[in-house]
Amino acid sequence: MGWPLQRPVFRFSPGVHAGTIAVIASPVSPTSSTQNPRKVLAMTNLKLVALENRERTIIQVGNVRFGAGFVIIGGPCSVESEEQMIETAIAVKSAGADMLRGGAFKPRTSPYAFQGLGLQGLKILAKAREATGLPFATEVLDTRDVSWVAEFADMIQIGARNMQNYSLLKEIGKLRKPILLKRGMYSTLEEWLNCAEYIMSEGNPNVVLCERGIRSFETYTRNTLDLSAVPAVKEMSHLPVITDPTHGTGKVGLIAPMSLASVAAGSDGLIIEVHRKPAEALSDKDQALTPPQFSGLVQKVRALAKFMEGIR
Amino acid sequence: MNLKEIRNNIDRIDQQLPILLRQRMEYALQAEKHKDDAQDLAREESVFEKVTAKSSSLLDKSFLSDLYKLILAESKKLQARHLKLVGFQGEHGAWSEIAIHAFGSEMAPIPCLEFRDVFACVANHDLEFGVVPVENSIEGSVTEVNDLLVEADLKIVAEAVIPIHHNLLALPGTNHQEIRSVYSHPQALGQCRAFLSRNKLEPRPFYNTAGAARWLAHERQRSAGVIASRLAAEFYELDIIKENIEDHPENATRFVLLSTQPRTGTSPANKCTIAFSTQHRAGALSDVVRIFAENKVNLTRIESRPIRTNPGTFAFLLDFQGKPDDPAVVRALENAKKAAMMFKNLGFYPEATL
Repeated sequence: MGWPLQRPVFRFSPGVHAGTIAVIASPVSPTSSTQNPRKVLAMTNLKLVALENRERTIIQVGNVRFGAGFVIIGGPCSVESEEQMIETAIAVKSAGADMLRGGAFKPRTSPYAFQGLGLQGLKILAKAREATGLPFATEVLDTRDVSWVAEFADMIQIGARNMQNYSLLKEIGKLRKPILLKRGMYSTLEEWLNCAEYIMSEGNPNVVLCERGIRSFETYTRNTLDLSAVPAVKEMSHLPVITDPTHGTGKVGLIAPMSLASVAAGSDGLIIEVHRKPAEALSDKDQALTPPQFSGLVQKVRALAKFMEGIR
Repeated sequence: MNLKEIRNNIDRIDQQLPILLRQRMEYALQAEKHKDDAQDLAREESVFEKVTAKSSSLLDKSFLSDLYKLILAESKKLQARHLKLVGFQGEHGAWSEIAIHAFGSEMAPIPCLEFRDVFACVANHDLEFGVVPVENSIEGSVTEVNDLLVEADLKIVAEAVIPIHHNLLALPGTNHQEIRSVYSHPQALGQCRAFLSRNKLEPRPFYNTAGAARWLAHERQRSAGVIASRLAAEFYELDIIKENIEDHPENATRFVLLSTQPRTGTSPANKCTIAFSTQHRAGALSDVVRIFAENKVNLTRIESRPIRTNPGTFAFLLDFQGKPDDPAVVRALENAKKAAMMFKNLGFYPEATL
């Protein structure tokens, strides 16, 4: 399968409106206040995703509001057991996170690596939600699992590897569940936003974007976290965008600095991997924070977010 | 066969043995109603004779006789408790059985095949009481039960509103993607209609929720799921694929306790059910309903059912709030009786709330 190769086409005239969409309007002004929003670069065919005089969208997941305040999601890469998930969830909550994450269906580089607990993992995540009161996001890989994941999850994640899996995007577009759309590791911003357009054109207006690092020639880091994507997306789209510094760097030591940089760049939130004992994790053990590390990071992030709020 | 397969077979038998033993106890309790004395030596003798005749090299005569001494002693102990026998439609783990516990302790739930069997067993005094579902907050009236309430000559002596939380069950180890069709009572399928449609599952009506669970545990179909209670999942050793699959969390069913005798309880009755039919003329129903309005009696439900023996004519079931000694209620009932063609007072009982 080839990747779409057409080059981004930029033009200055506003795109075609496809009628109003069901978004929760907020009175937040666009980040680039000096620019006339009408003159902001508009991409072709982003009828529902483009900013174009629209108000910024707030997406509600339980009591959490993406696009209003700073949202922190924490949890393990994979759900490994009920005990591990619930212990981590409680730690993540007491650290001050707003939401949980945890993989039940895992896209692994090797077919022999741990593939996730599947439906059992979803049931455990539901128990963790019950124990903490926090909603959770989890990834779906297979169109045949979409309805089932939606039965359990509060937010459905489309991982970087599946960003351009158009049949999966169409399937989740038929839901009304909030979607966390990660940026593909080889994707341009236009390709990414077109994927959000796929979901919205099927009728689901609840899309949150997530920058998680792209492939570059650098090998020290797992990916190169493209923080310029955050303000760039905000120039082009009304959708909230959060950052994943865990996958964006793949290095425990870089997660906190890049989290703070994300806040400064105008990100609407963070998604961070936390494991009660990272060395024993079945996946992503080199990039998971311990609960105390996560707790320290949340405090710094909250303080900076408050400061940024004051100078906006 | 490897050890795992052998153990699976043993587990299957261990699952069946308590079911059979329970059935035997239920029949023993029913038999007690038909005899004067729990001790019937001639019958016991013949039971022992028949069982020990089945002895073999692996089943020693003395083992079988010891086992049956235990079983018979236990049934006599049960008979001595003089439990109230309460009929319910379906099999063990059915929602009606769960509802029985709301009506009191010292009751022995006895499964009946159909709703009409519950009514018949109570009417024939084979069982002291019957418990049947009347209406559900999502799916509405249980039509067959409402028809039977109109037809039968039984009294409603109590009611209970039970929250119903359905589960999708499957054989242990089933992959959720394999499930194609879901078996359950039509009421349960109806209460989970949106869930089934979202997940592209084909509803297959079965005579009872727990009965479907028992059927699946026995038939072991990988592509089938069942909607039933958690109790049924535990009893028939099925996995819960998804809990709380009802289309609204406030799913509740109203059950009534039936008896041939009017209520003897001490708690004050403040609700009543009547059944009536009217002449086929304009305003006939309204005339009866107006009587209650004029006497300021609050109606809580009105259900119309076609009279099956005479299509085109209708019977009405009406629930209202009111005490039996309230003069307004007495007056309303007298006048309604005069205005109706057929009229039946099914009884006063304490109103239940969730």
